[in-house]
Amino acid sequence: MKTNLSPVVAGFLLFFVFVSCIKDTDFDQVDNVDLTPTIDLDLIYFNLSASDFYDPATSTSVLTVSDTTELRFLNDIEVQRNLKRAEFYFKFTNSIEREFQADFQFLTPQNDTTYTAQTVVAQGTVSNPIITEFIENVEGADIVDLTQASKVIVSVTIPSSNANLEGALNLQSKVTYYVEL
Amino acid sequence: MKILLFYSLALLGVVGIAQNKQVLYGMEDIPQNLLLNPGTKLTQKAHYGIPLLSQIHLNVGTSGVSVHDIFGASNATEDINTRIRDKIFEMSSKDFFTATQQLELINFGWLAKNKLYFSGGIYEELDFVFYFPRDLAILVWEGNSDYINYEFDLGEISTTADLMTVYHFGVNKQIGKKLTVGLRAKLYSSMASFKSTNNSGKFVTRLGDNDSPNIYEHSLENVNMSVETSGIASLQDEENSSQVSSEILGRALLGGNLGIGFDVGMTYDITRDITATASILDFGAIFHTKDVETYQARTNYTLDGIELIFPPLANEEGTLPYYSDLEDEVEREVPIDTLYNSYTQMLPMKVNASIAYNFGRPTDGGTDCNCMNMSGSIPKNQSIGLQYYSVFRPKGPQLAGTLFYYRRFASFLAAKATYTVDSYTASNIGLGLVADVGKFNFYIAADNLLAYSNLAKAKSVSLQLGFNIKIDRE
Repeated sequence: MKTNLSPVVAGFLLFFVFVSCIKDTDFDQVDNVDLTPTIDLDLIYFNLSASDFYDPATSTSVLTVSDTTELRFLNDIEVQRNLKRAEFYFKFTNSIEREFQADFQFLTPQNDTTYTAQTVVAQGTVSNPIITEFIENVEGADIVDLTQASKVIVSVTIPSSNANLEGALNLQSKVTYYVEL
Repeated sequence: MKILLFYSLALLGVVGIAQNKQVLYGMEDIPQNLLLNPGTKLTQKAHYGIPLLSQIHLNVGTSGVSVHDIFGASNATEDINTRIRDKIFEMSSKDFFTATQQLELINFGWLAKNKLYFSGGIYEELDFVFYFPRDLAILVWEGNSDYINYEFDLGEISTTADLMTVYHFGVNKQIGKKLTVGLRAKLYSSMASFKSTNNSGKFVTRLGDNDSPNIYEHSLENVNMSVETSGIASLQDEENSSQVSSEILGRALLGGNLGIGFDVGMTYDITRDITATASILDFGAIFHTKDVETYQARTNYTLDGIELIFPPLANEEGTLPYYSDLEDEVEREVPIDTLYNSYTQMLPMKVNASIAYNFGRPTDGGTDCNCMNMSGSIPKNQSIGLQYYSVFRPKGPQLAGTLFYYRRFASFLAAKATYTVDSYTASNIGLGLVADVGKFNFYIAADNLLAYSNLAKAKSVSLQLGFNIKIDRE
């Protein structure tokens, strides 16, 4: 069979070439894509007993106890770049008949202080523990300071103590991280 | 991150039911129809595919989203972030992205004296499917703050990718007047394979109760996840791309992980005007024994944060390494094991079936009453019918139904139009054209033609074309 088919084949191919196109799109919109997840994560917790504020061996008060933990993710380069706001939430439950001063001191790896936060914890009783909530919102220039830190010192100060003091001070905490990628 | 997101979205845009060649299926004028139904009727005495050009097949698609849905300019008044968020929530974990590409290297066939038609060849295939992990997408896009106590399903992660060479040889025979049957044996040489299916587990952030040490409990519950890889670990050790290419080429030439499989098919003339066909393709498995690495994580773990115990310190003594201890605990409690056990991969089996009513004028130059063929069908220049297609995927079969019309315009030119309903769309129109110029056979088939006017709106596009030498029977 001798037939010139090239017009048919060419026509079919041209159909695809001419009619296929990508239109009504604007890929520059990708610049406007903002991933803005909000992440809730536990932070630290502790249980201090009234006896932690008195040293029976020397019969003296221990007015301040402190502890340190690294938070190495905080000064991670990605966190520094993308964290826009952090909201700390601390929940103290106090059954000791004393007010407390709680201090949070954020430090760089070189031990330079970059950010601090403090609050007063209301006194309670063994039969009636009192809850004190404390929210610290960090954003703007403060977030830059906060994300230079890689560790935090937590100090708890009691105005006075004795061997008969009873009860416990409990802390639970979380942070809500507002991220923009 | 934005660049990564852009490429991911662009990929989603371009990556059909892949592998459904509904336009080619049943087109007896095309030798490659033998690969879709080994038991098809044949009109030729012999065929030879033009090497590398006998079949080029590309099929990409998504079931849930198109490029236009995200990057459309006319809907740019709405913030792109709102559009992405709406799509994430609109799609389900059964939505998927697939891509299939095939390139035939060699294809040949001939009618032997015993009336058996033998055919064989080699083709390369890339097959990819990725299910949309909706819960994880929500977690990444929104975070967990608004999803306290919500169980994010990690089992939604399901994906496979395969690159292989297939060596095949088959036989086709007409039995009596009504029935044609065929069988094809396949030898698969897997170049690289990646699979993560049958995952399970939850991630949940629960609000702690009175017994909880901290505000929340971040829990990984009943997690059992794995990624099976074959032919990938060793490539990471190669120093440059030429070494990778030569290694891949070696595997293409039967140096990879081998597998076997079968295709079977039949064509049956129910009456003189009604013909039924059916085929099962890629019923087989690949046995991954070389260069296998499986990564597995099984855990039940709850994270509460860091407990400070205020140890009594003396003389500038350092405190406890809480953070490092936590890292060690996570590594210990959420171990990712690397296993080197062989595994067997079942291939995605495909099922085709059709029923057609043939009408119009006879194409073999005869009349409606062919006294030499009282029971078999008479080839007519037109047919109309229904086709069924399914492929077995990790989350169950993907199905497609097709209504078709076939017409032979002249002895050298035939065309087929299809209307397909599948997971992507209910308005998929396809068109195929086959031309025989002397011994030269050319075909082209494409579906989703309505979408060609703007590919950005297409959820799937499939294209096959090829060139053969075909020697018809006298």
